[in-house]
Amino acid sequence: MTEPLFPLWQVDRREYDAVCAYLGITPRDHIYDALATHLAEAPFRVAAPEGLFGRLAERALTPWTIARLDLATRLFAPGHPIRHVLNGTIALHEVDGDGYPELAAAPTGWRAYASMLKWALGLVLNLALTLPWLSWQGVMHLLRAPFGAVRNNLRGERVLITGVGRGLGRDLMLHCLERGADVVGVVRDRASFERLRDELPARAPLTLVVADLATPGALTEALEAAKLERDTFSIVIASAGVKHDGRSVTSLASVRDTLQVNVLAPVELIEWLVSPRDTDGDARGPRAETTALVLVSSMGRWHGMHHSGGYNASKAALSIWGESFDMEARGASRRRFTVTIVEPGMFASGMTKAAGLGRFLLAPRSRVAATIVSGALAGRSAIRPPFWFALVTWAVCVVGRDFRYRILARARPRESR
Amino acid sequence: MRHVGPLVVVGGGVSAAHAALTLLERGYEVDLWDVGREEVTFPEPAATFHELKRRIARPDTYLLGAELEALIPPAVPELLRYPPARRFLAKPKDPLLNFESDGFAPFASFSKGGLANGWGANALLYDEDDMAEWLVSAADMPPVYRTVCERIPVAAPDADDLSPHLQGLHPTQAPVALTDADRRMYDRYARKRRVLNKEGMVMGLSRLAVVTDPGRPDACDRCDRCLWGCPRDAIYNPHVSTLASCDAYPGYRYVPGRMVLSLVAREGHIKGIRYLDTATGAIREEPCGAVFLAAGALQTGAIFLRTLVRAHPDMSPETDGLMDTAVVKIPFLALEGMGRPADPRAFQFNRLMVGLTGNAPPWPRYLHGELLHLTSLLYHPLIERMPFDSRLSKRLFFTLKSALGVVTLFFPDRIVPGNRQVLADPGSGSDRVRLCYRESADKEAFMRESIGRMRSALWRLGCVPQGAVHSPSGGGIHYAGTVPMGAGPKRCDANGRSNAFSNLYIADGAAFPTLPSKSITLSLAAHATRVARAARI
Repeated sequence: MTEPLFPLWQVDRREYDAVCAYLGITPRDHIYDALATHLAEAPFRVAAPEGLFGRLAERALTPWTIARLDLATRLFAPGHPIRHVLNGTIALHEVDGDGYPELAAAPTGWRAYASMLKWALGLVLNLALTLPWLSWQGVMHLLRAPFGAVRNNLRGERVLITGVGRGLGRDLMLHCLERGADVVGVVRDRASFERLRDELPARAPLTLVVADLATPGALTEALEAAKLERDTFSIVIASAGVKHDGRSVTSLASVRDTLQVNVLAPVELIEWLVSPRDTDGDARGPRAETTALVLVSSMGRWHGMHHSGGYNASKAALSIWGESFDMEARGASRRRFTVTIVEPGMFASGMTKAAGLGRFLLAPRSRVAATIVSGALAGRSAIRPPFWFALVTWAVCVVGRDFRYRILARARPRESR
Repeated sequence: MRHVGPLVVVGGGVSAAHAALTLLERGYEVDLWDVGREEVTFPEPAATFHELKRRIARPDTYLLGAELEALIPPAVPELLRYPPARRFLAKPKDPLLNFESDGFAPFASFSKGGLANGWGANALLYDEDDMAEWLVSAADMPPVYRTVCERIPVAAPDADDLSPHLQGLHPTQAPVALTDADRRMYDRYARKRRVLNKEGMVMGLSRLAVVTDPGRPDACDRCDRCLWGCPRDAIYNPHVSTLASCDAYPGYRYVPGRMVLSLVAREGHIKGIRYLDTATGAIREEPCGAVFLAAGALQTGAIFLRTLVRAHPDMSPETDGLMDTAVVKIPFLALEGMGRPADPRAFQFNRLMVGLTGNAPPWPRYLHGELLHLTSLLYHPLIERMPFDSRLSKRLFFTLKSALGVVTLFFPDRIVPGNRQVLADPGSGSDRVRLCYRESADKEAFMRESIGRMRSALWRLGCVPQGAVHSPSGGGIHYAGTVPMGAGPKRCDANGRSNAFSNLYIADGAAFPTLPSKSITLSLAAHATRVARAARI
């Protein structure tokens, strides 16, 4: 069983089982499959909820949350994702030969009146639990708001992301699609293109462009060939990256490749973006007044790292180049750009192994993606998830190179990624 | 007989079928031009609606559609989507659907049998009051109505409280069986009859174009699948019966694959037909003799409009009218039915009819409605609309299901300025037609008053009405008045003959100058029959 692509709208099998238990019906595999397919298209039909109910939509469905959210959304948020889950579950069981008799079982005669009395008392109890719970969630939402409100609804936004084949780039793409954005994704090769095309719903507003960023000029060439209108993008994320683990920093080929993919390709991308717009590009979406540029760097940019094929050096170059471009962009009278430099630390990526204590310390990739997109749209200059890791890194940097050497020399190189 | 050119009937629905059959009966040779798509056959004819869910391989795909398009999402003001398994309705993106909507979203069909492949089977006739503003007298109608009732099976009671308002029918079948919930409602009406009649509400058994005679192989077996397509052909369908009757005439030629766009006119006379060959996509022309437009009021209006503008470029590119039956559904809970088990079999459409009488001019005195207790539908939108959590709503809904029903009111319409068809881009040669429609203020006031009266009547019947659901304009499926009877080049005479073109006949609802509340289908058949009988060819 695969994980849901769009967890805001879809449910995993455990959650579906919980929904069926809540409704008093038997879960069925073929109905789960149909429901998963149906809900995978919800982001392209319905706007994601904002505010408190947007935050509540991110919660895993347990018997407690299902009961609370069901009543709360019926009263206050009729288009909420859980309404789609419950409505879809009922609809699909209703048309099933075995599902319908179970769904439609109802008391008759005097038992009907007794049951209705019991249900009325149950409703009062449900209200007595749900309304205080919802109030508490509202208070917590208000308290959390100053520390990073997440923008849920990206309808009308057009996003360009490199490196959507896997890792953080893929999560950024899924996050943007889930929130209703129109996405242009750059993948490295045809195989990644085919895999994503098969995996994602056909209706997803996604344009895939194939370009191997290790080849100078390949990205610009592919973007030109796709006839993309460059000033329609409200967010552009340079997420693709390469790390030659185990290769010495004196390996010129590795360092050259790392710098090409991690630094020069983002520069190519932004050069393409800021150059005068074409007149015969595609016509998807209105022109974006502001484009948020996101450069995915790394906390590793603050220190050296042996046998990394120049990875940390490339990220330092990217962060500094990004800051330099920000200075130029602010001074220019041309279209407005904001520059957000993302320096992720430990999070559940292809570059970090989530094991042992790491499971608790690593920020989930989907949460990192949400923070990046919301932060970029809010114009934040730097995002460093998780922030505790940034503090640790800076502390290590402050105490001197010898100490850093003793700490970082313990790190053993892994395979190239 | 063969004339200057072939005698062509355009369309494939009720009007076209009855016009063609009448002309054949008069001894003429007839070509019937139709797009002529075929409706699918219906699976498992012996299964009831709920049994079907077990008998077919993919009930979700059959009942909700391959992309679950009939799964109505939350927070959408819809209670029902037409079954995707039915193929007779044109999809909104159908390339042949060359309409643009301006406040009007029509249903259309390019199937043999037309929209009558999925009609509600209510068989009613217009009376003098309904036809008060028509050029034709109601007194001229009984002979054609009798002919139509000979062609179409009508299941109706001999007499009940609706009889004074629904005169002229000639039933050949016994009424459809009531469910227990209908019986309880009808009994309660009988007890409250005096007060309800005084307030202008009447109730009776449905008059339906359905075969109920158990001796016939096509008799209704109450499988509860009317909406999904009658698998026994018990409900009248012109494709199955009237067009099949035409086949018996050697002078009849059914010509599928042709969508008529306009007619070629010279000196007030139709000389040819310009059509789209749907197989090749080519636009062609063929000579013809007399033409009977019976493609449905919207297509007929569009064909006429294109023809008129090509023949008379100085005329404004718009029709004189466009009428639509506004539909309002009032869901209710019949308290007496709570906790009762549901009937295992039923005729799915309405078994009871209601009417509101004593309406003031300009509206007909009788406003027609259908009263339906739920038997089999897709219920998830109803459960989702209940004001409780889903678990409670589901439990409550199925406990109350046999007590739930809906009254559907059908509102008459009149030609008012602004409601019309307009050529979308007359200078470009485009065939697209814009449908412009707004409800008039007086009609809205009449609707509000009638809804209030019906809600009061439901309270008296021991029912709790819950809101009123208005279908969007065009959702009523009954359209009329695009080439109405009257004076002027954009209209036709009492016998449907165009005032602008001497050998052109408007043989469908496009010719109706008003649109009464009562179900239109038998009157479409009657009008087509009368036009074909009176035509001077």
